Amino acid sequence: MMAHIRPVSAVWVGIICLVFSSRLSTMKAASICPNDQTGCHLLPLANLFDRVIQHSARMHGISDDLHSEFELYFLPSKNQIGRVSRNCHTSTILTPNGKENAQRIAREELAEIILKLLVAWRDPLWHFHQSMSQHDEFTNFSSNKSLEMSDMVHELRKGVLKVVEKMQMLGIISNSVGDTGSPEALLTSDSAEWRFMKDYDLLYCFRRDSNKIQNYLKILKCRIVPKHGC
Amino acid sequence: MRKAEGGILLRLLLLFMLHATGTSYSPPGKPTLTRCRSPEKETFTCWWEPGSDGGLPTKYALYYRKENSDKVFECPDYRTAGENSCFFNKNDTSVWVNYNITVVATNALGRTFSDPVDIDVVYIVKPNPPENLALTVLWDQTWPYLHVSWESPQKADTRSGWITLIYELRIKLEDEDEWEEHPAGQQKTFNIFSLCSGGKYLVQVRCKPDHGFWSEWSSSQYVKVPEYFNREKSMWVLAVIFSAFALFIITWLIHMNCHNLKQCILPSVPGPKIKGFDEQLLKDGKSMDAFSSLVGANFPPTTTNYEDLLVEYLEVFVPEERELMLEETKELHNDSLKFENSTSDCDSGRGSCDSHTLLIDKSEEEKGQQPDQQSSEIKMDGKGQDEEDKYLTCSPENVDSHQLSSEKVKTWPSSFSPLPEYSPIPLQQPNSHETSKQPCLSDSLFAAGPLPSHFPHLGHNTKDEIGSSYWQFGISNKQLHLLHQQMEAHQQLQAHKNASVSNIGHLQLPSVRFTEYVEVQRVSDQNMVILHPVPSHPETSYPDWHQTEEYSKVKCVDNDNGLLLLQREGVEEGMDMCSYEELPESDPSKTTNTTFTSPCSQPAPSVQDERVVGGYVETSVFTLPTY
Repeated sequence: MMAHIRPVSAVWVGIICLVFSSRLSTMKAASICPNDQTGCHLLPLANLFDRVIQHSARMHGISDDLHSEFELYFLPSKNQIGRVSRNCHTSTILTPNGKENAQRIAREELAEIILKLLVAWRDPLWHFHQSMSQHDEFTNFSSNKSLEMSDMVHELRKGVLKVVEKMQMLGIISNSVGDTGSPEALLTSDSAEWRFMKDYDLLYCFRRDSNKIQNYLKILKCRIVPKHGC
Repeated sequence: MRKAEGGILLRLLLLFMLHATGTSYSPPGKPTLTRCRSPEKETFTCWWEPGSDGGLPTKYALYYRKENSDKVFECPDYRTAGENSCFFNKNDTSVWVNYNITVVATNALGRTFSDPVDIDVVYIVKPNPPENLALTVLWDQTWPYLHVSWESPQKADTRSGWITLIYELRIKLEDEDEWEEHPAGQQKTFNIFSLCSGGKYLVQVRCKPDHGFWSEWSSSQYVKVPEYFNREKSMWVLAVIFSAFALFIITWLIHMNCHNLKQCILPSVPGPKIKGFDEQLLKDGKSMDAFSSLVGANFPPTTTNYEDLLVEYLEVFVPEERELMLEETKELHNDSLKFENSTSDCDSGRGSCDSHTLLIDKSEEEKGQQPDQQSSEIKMDGKGQDEEDKYLTCSPENVDSHQLSSEKVKTWPSSFSPLPEYSPIPLQQPNSHETSKQPCLSDSLFAAGPLPSHFPHLGHNTKDEIGSSYWQFGISNKQLHLLHQQMEAHQQLQAHKNASVSNIGHLQLPSVRFTEYVEVQRVSDQNMVILHPVPSHPETSYPDWHQTEEYSKVKCVDNDNGLLLLQREGVEEGMDMCSYEELPESDPSKTTNTTFTSPCSQPAPSVQDERVVGGYVETSVFTLPTY
């Protein structure tokens, strides 16, 4: 029995390898653009964009849920005057507040804004998660969400960087966009501000900023690869 | 200054006039902002509900403040959106900016502020319904399906990616009430299958931004599906019919073979039953009836059977001192069952010769008991009249030859009868020779217990009277076969046979009414020969009568009037029950199957009498030579 198994298994492994290699070769040979359409070479970029946009959408969804939970538990008084003077620490970053404004600025600038936003929220979210886990009134669900939110910011930034690299590789945008928004530079500017924010205001600010990120990414995609689902 | 004074004067005059008329006026009621909506995330509109006007003309104004700014702005457009509304155009709209909006109602008496509302344009988006809904019926081979297509609302800019809309459509038949909803995602086309042939459908569609409100349903579009043949339906109908038919046939087959299947699948579990036992009788309470079926034909023996089991007795003349007990075993001719009954119950004193095995078993015992029983001889001596009173008459019953069934109830003298059911034998006068008195051979009717005790008594009694030849009959401990013969002339031993025996042999010297053959059934240990009657012509009268015993051939009569018997070589019917023994008391230790020559003083009487057949012992023969 054992003597039979070995050659049989070797044969099976060989067959599987052949299949896979053929598959891989076909994958390479039969490229994503079979007919060499215009803009077909941008398909991988479009896919990348889609993935990033989905990622940002999920991040925004989580922040929205957490914000609603906070509103249920804390219910800040709507008559507070001081509420108007809320100031997000990212307000220093100039972001387009309208469609025309967003369409008017350059792609590189838009990409940079996105990256800046993502970088700006990396540390505050991590600390937010820390404070959340320490409080007993928060459920485990909320604590997991805050952690997920914090991780997503990291992942999304990496994804956007990849997209930017791709775009730069394709020559769509110039190479001026880089890791300009270095954490150190940002941190020095608004290092202390977010620490004084309350948790609820933090969530409010992040909810808005994640929406901005998602929207900017969509605009960017439809500006760069408009024929793929825009 | 003058204007201000004029205004104040006017107000005062107005108040005075109002006061003069007598109506009550008040500052306006509080207005409320009902909702703010943005159709495309570029503009938005807010509506408010005015409160009571207080009887005076009231003006409403909307003020807003942007986030992080204290500058108050008033609504730029009160008209575009209609009554009690404020429309914010693109220039005034900032997305991702928190607006703090307040409506103020103002009349002559005062002003009232509404509650402020914070809005962010991103979260108040409610787009317009989709446009250009188009329905088309297309064909997939033979199946029609509905192809629905629409377009995004005009104002919503989905092309630039500014808004992302997801759509939903619903469909129903014209006369139905329930809608069938289908989410369509971000696509702008949809296919609906499984349409009713010839049905008229209504379709509506709506949309929603990724974070916002659903739009209103679009206007309905109608479509009529053409008639077509639903092959799938007809196929299902056929399948159902066929399966029903098959089920019907299977059910019918099962019903026909119901019994067989039952036996196959659920074999009957044998219940505990007793053969011949009817439990219903038991339930009814008739226990005796229930058990009666269990009873064999001859068990337990009824009283009538008892009679059959009894031995036919011989009528014997017994002297007073002596008591003759003659018994004759009755042959059971064709009644093997009775034979069995009689032989099986050896303790009841039945004839041992009836039993196949018993005789052989007891042969050894007989030898042992012979010396004891030697004295217990039953002699038949001619006592005289006084002795004749002690006849032990065995009243024969039916002499019919064909009655083979039952044995006679043996009769015993009262002193001898161990069995209470047996009536004592009435003694007959010895003079009545007509009455055949024959020795009764007691068959196996004697109980084993009390009988042996009697024998010595008998033996002693008889021995004293002896003077004549007598027969000695061995008495086994199991059975009593006493054949006592008085050799006196007047003594007659008549062996009466029961109905089963054709010939009734008797020991009768002068008049022999019946002659009966006595068959030596066994020889007891006391050199006693146990005889039982045999039919004279077994082949004629009872062709099927099987003698279970051997016939002994009388060799001679010895000096002491002992009967020497020869053992018959040939065993009739293969039954070798009876073992013969030498009669003479002088030789008690004689074993069976021996022949004697020396003690014979007189040779065996020649076969003269027709009663003697083949040298078989016949009682009458023996009496003759002695007289």
